[in-house]
Amino acid sequence: MIAPQLWLLVTFPTVTAAMAMEQRCHGAGLPGRLIPVPRSITAGCGMAWRCDPALRQRLEEVLQGMTYEGIYELEF
Amino acid sequence: MATILDMRGQACPIPVVKANQTLAGMSQGVLEVHVDNPVAVENLRRMALQKKLPVKVDQPESEHYIVTIPVNAPVEETPLPEVKDCSCAAPGHLVVAVDTEIMGRGSDELGRTLLKGFIFAISRLPQPPRTVLFYNGGARLTVEGSPFLEDLRNMEQQGVEILTCGTCLNYYGLTEQLAVGKVTDMYTIVERLSGAGQVIKP
Repeated sequence: MIAPQLWLLVTFPTVTAAMAMEQRCHGAGLPGRLIPVPRSITAGCGMAWRCDPALRQRLEEVLQGMTYEGIYELEF
Repeated sequence: MATILDMRGQACPIPVVKANQTLAGMSQGVLEVHVDNPVAVENLRRMALQKKLPVKVDQPESEHYIVTIPVNAPVEETPLPEVKDCSCAAPGHLVVAVDTEIMGRGSDELGRTLLKGFIFAISRLPQPPRTVLFYNGGARLTVEGSPFLEDLRNMEQQGVEILTCGTCLNYYGLTEQLAVGKVTDMYTIVERLSGAGQVIKP
């Protein structure tokens, strides 16, 4: 089993928005990845952006002007 | 007089273990082992090879194999190290076969995203798969620069066997770039698939 750790998650209303987020973060050199939305969050389109919570400030900058649903901190 | 062991319906490695025990008590005669799958045949063949005994295989029906081992001198009971690697596994062992970079048909862009979710979810299964096979387009997942390496390395640490088709790496010019798991050949791919309790594909 993989040891749980705290992650920052961003959910999106559409998969297209989630994929745009992936592109934008890669472009900005911001580490993170798309994962299936954890079952404990019943929101969003099915894919969520996951990154280190320490990157929250930079993440919020990237998110400006983007369509997203919610930001969560979750241990899993 | 042949000694007959009907091992049909017995889970691997029982047939080879029983055969090994039976041979150990024999000095003259013929051992005939009946099994129902090719992996069991392969295990028996390897065991006999280790004992330097000849083997004859007949297949009277699609799921009925008869492995005949003649004995002309007392047989020593030898350990069965190869059975530890027995690819057939207990019933229910999961093998994941990834033959694509794209999950499903429709949008390739969506399919690439879905595959990332699929591999992540596989890596989080409470009971990890025994083996994950990568071939054709799937071979691009295990090489340097692939976005899948984190999940695949996690799985490898959990003891999952990660195998990539060598022919495929060669075809795509990626042989030197393999970044996780081992290179394999078609015999092993077919052994893993045929010995699986269940096989899933994205």
